[in-house]
Amino acid sequence: MSNFEQFHSDFYQSSYTIDNQEGYNSYGSNENLCGSRKNPTGERPQAGAFVTSEMLLSSQSYTGQILQPICSPDTLSHLSYTNGFDEEPPLLEELGINFDHIWQKTLTVLNPMKPADGSIMNETDLTGPMVFCLALGATLLLAGKVHFGYVYGMSAIGCLAMHALLNLMSVTGVSHGCVASVLGYCLLPMVILSGSAVVFSLQGILGTLLALFIVGWCSLSASKIFTSALAMEGQQLLIAYPCALLYGLFALLTVF
Amino acid sequence: PVSSLAVAYGTSLASQGRDIVDRNIDRLVPVGRLKYYFAVDTVYVGRKLGLLVFPFMHQDWQVRYQQDAPVAPRFDVNAPDLYIPVMAFITYVLVAGLALGTQNRFSPDSLGLQASSALAWLIVEVLAILLSLYLVTVNTDLTTIDLIAFSGYKYVGMIVGLVSGLLFGKTGYYVVLGWCCISIFVFMIKTLRLKILSEAAAEGVLVRGAKNQLRMYLTMAIAAVQPLFMYWLTYHLIR
Repeated sequence: MSNFEQFHSDFYQSSYTIDNQEGYNSYGSNENLCGSRKNPTGERPQAGAFVTSEMLLSSQSYTGQILQPICSPDTLSHLSYTNGFDEEPPLLEELGINFDHIWQKTLTVLNPMKPADGSIMNETDLTGPMVFCLALGATLLLAGKVHFGYVYGMSAIGCLAMHALLNLMSVTGVSHGCVASVLGYCLLPMVILSGSAVVFSLQGILGTLLALFIVGWCSLSASKIFTSALAMEGQQLLIAYPCALLYGLFALLTVF
Repeated sequence: PVSSLAVAYGTSLASQGRDIVDRNIDRLVPVGRLKYYFAVDTVYVGRKLGLLVFPFMHQDWQVRYQQDAPVAPRFDVNAPDLYIPVMAFITYVLVAGLALGTQNRFSPDSLGLQASSALAWLIVEVLAILLSLYLVTVNTDLTTIDLIAFSGYKYVGMIVGLVSGLLFGKTGYYVVLGWCCISIFVFMIKTLRLKILSEAAAEGVLVRGAKNQLRMYLTMAIAAVQPLFMYWLTYHLIR
């Protein structure tokens, strides 16, 4: 379908303009491929608009942090999307996966000394953490240990416990998704540790030191993100300690 | 359209479920009061840990009040908190697992056994203290959560003893545990004195009377039970 590519790119740009209720209704009624090229609002939003609107669709708690005015009919109108195969949004948008945000959060985790801003955790995104958990399981598998169940179990219990503790310690509460997302992102250095376990054995002094360093790195970045997102002053070390206990359990799984 | 209906119904069910959980959790666990005990910061935790292992130099043990309610632990090092006991309990279970692991006696079941036995002893101790406070008819403002907090402070000493036992062997364990037992004894006496004894006696004036003597014995009994538990819960981990 030679038309398909053109329609596809056109669909990207034309559907994500703001106050678009009338535009969606006309889409729903219009089966014609050629007719869909008509752009109701006549403007071409930048690629950034696609990113923000797609974030809108993926989380109800999102309140338009990224400088684009939202309109509530947007969330309703996406339900009329699936009227036909031609009008479905691209897969990544529908799943709410946004590679740019994932990369930003990964960079924040990798540099625990740089102060983070509190708004990055406003959209709870679980795809990055899922990727890191799978990567951890895969590197463990490479080292000969089939521990997928332990990884998932410990992360679930750890998320529940951290959620309870953070709700008690902070003035504003947190949701389960936010806690799971932060803890999952900060699992990335642990993947590096288990990757190095494939190359050389971690049972000696060097392995212990490396494991301690990685645990410290993970818990420092997790506590940094939590304290900046929840505005808790003077409690970073207090949050880092339970995170260190949790990541210490993961390190035990990796080393032994 | 049917799928959109299903999605809407599903999300409404999920939010209803969450509402029910939120409403009922308030009945089981007083979240508002618990938040007071977790309002700590790093400076407070550092000072409190120092007090737990070296309480001899501290002069003023009175909890500061602010318009009839005790000040949050952030602002007063004498106020009880729940962060240290909870973290100490979890760390104790992990260190016990580590100790068992170095002696090749480790299995995930034994970890669960340690955790549940420590929790059971904690509950028994708190219930015993509550019962004795009721029998002696003391007019005190110690709540159950306060008692849990005070009983949880001994886990700090236990952890220090266990770690030194792992690093330095049996002599290190006995020396450090002995020191921690003495310090937790002094800590408990000085803290509970102000809460259980009458005001005059707390200031050091000798007040005669059976009631006050009974309260004094009660305070000393509570404080003496702590080192016993500390030894009981750790000696089998150091061989």
